Amino acid sequence: MPNLRDIKNRITSTQSTRQITRTMEMVATAKIRKSQDRIESARPYALAMMEVLGNVARFTGGATHPLLEAHETRSRVVVIAVASDRGLCGAFNSNILRLTEQIIRDEREHDAESDVIAVGKKAIAYFRYRGIEPIATYRDMADKPSIADARSIAIRVIDAYTAGRIDAVKIVFNRFKNVADQVPEIHDLLPIRPQVVKAAADELTVNPEYVFEPSAPEVLERLLPTYIETLVYRALLESAASEQGARRKAMKSATDNAGEMITTLTRTYNRARQGAITNEIAEIVGGAAALEKK
Amino acid sequence: MARTLIAEIVTPEKIVYTNEVEMVVAPTIEGEIGILPLHAPLVGALKGGEVRVKDGDLVEWFAVSGGYIQVHEDRVIILADDAEIASQIDVERARQAKALAESRLAELGGEGEEVDALERDLRWAEVRIAVGTAH
Repeated sequence: MPNLRDIKNRITSTQSTRQITRTMEMVATAKIRKSQDRIESARPYALAMMEVLGNVARFTGGATHPLLEAHETRSRVVVIAVASDRGLCGAFNSNILRLTEQIIRDEREHDAESDVIAVGKKAIAYFRYRGIEPIATYRDMADKPSIADARSIAIRVIDAYTAGRIDAVKIVFNRFKNVADQVPEIHDLLPIRPQVVKAAADELTVNPEYVFEPSAPEVLERLLPTYIETLVYRALLESAASEQGARRKAMKSATDNAGEMITTLTRTYNRARQGAITNEIAEIVGGAAALEKK
Repeated sequence: MARTLIAEIVTPEKIVYTNEVEMVVAPTIEGEIGILPLHAPLVGALKGGEVRVKDGDLVEWFAVSGGYIQVHEDRVIILADDAEIASQIDVERARQAKALAESRLAELGGEGEEVDALERDLRWAEVRIAVGTAH
């Protein structure tokens, strides 16, 4: 027979756990909205940027640019793994880390070594533990990424790529599909595929003759790094929203599970209490009966 | 009523300004240009400096840290890395930012990965000070 006080203690502790998970769920719900707003606020710039890029691309034709050109050999790859600073968000981090590891393995099969840029404490800790020292780490920005953070990452990979130290850059992050769904995705950052630029040009519905200041190739040269910045920024924003979405989902099921557990425990508790009372009555009746016989 | 154009100043983080105006003046890397309605389609690169937006007697000033400008069919889009309306610039804070960036740069002695970002901060602080004190 389980001890009544033990069950009571378990119920109390499960109740306080449920209170915590429920609060976290509500906090995450509130934060999703803010993160979504941030994604929305970044959209006008990104759209205008693609428009400008398309216009410039039309006039540069087959222009070459170091960021558009694939290197002849592919021996060094940088993977930017965008995870979070905090846990308790389901498979959010493990998805990213698993995908990153898979890229590293795949690249190795093709004789390319990979370096990792780790965003978020969870990614940093994971790779350090696995004996992979990230070439750059970023923390305390997963909640509210700024364009400066994105720029810092972008400049780092662009410099390394232009200098020929690396031959490709990929970014792994959770895309915010909707509140309930976050999809881990791998995007190629560098080299920029010429199709991307061409697609931007094809998107345009009007094709006037533009005047360029100073010239189309020069504008393109400045534009491409900015384009990479916006891609990184976008990934960081998507990841921030996804983290809250994943946490909300994880905390919701934790709250539900705690509720179920409390119901079961309460039932056990009542049964045990009833059992104890029945026992006592039986003893009293038995005792009284024994006395009467005398 | 005079013909107008739509002016938009957009940064990656938000839309800073959008309005119907008569003239936009922006600092391209080759010098300042003024955009009036019916301007030819244009794409330009901007350097850090001051953007003026004029609507009748009303003029508004902005500090921008560089970026791009696109003009098409009376719509002017300024894509800025950073932009702030002059009246809201905290010159004191910009001075502090400038001093901070300068001291960090001096510490590093022009070496290291932070230099680019610091120089950018420094230029942005200088633009804000210039625009903020002028208006």
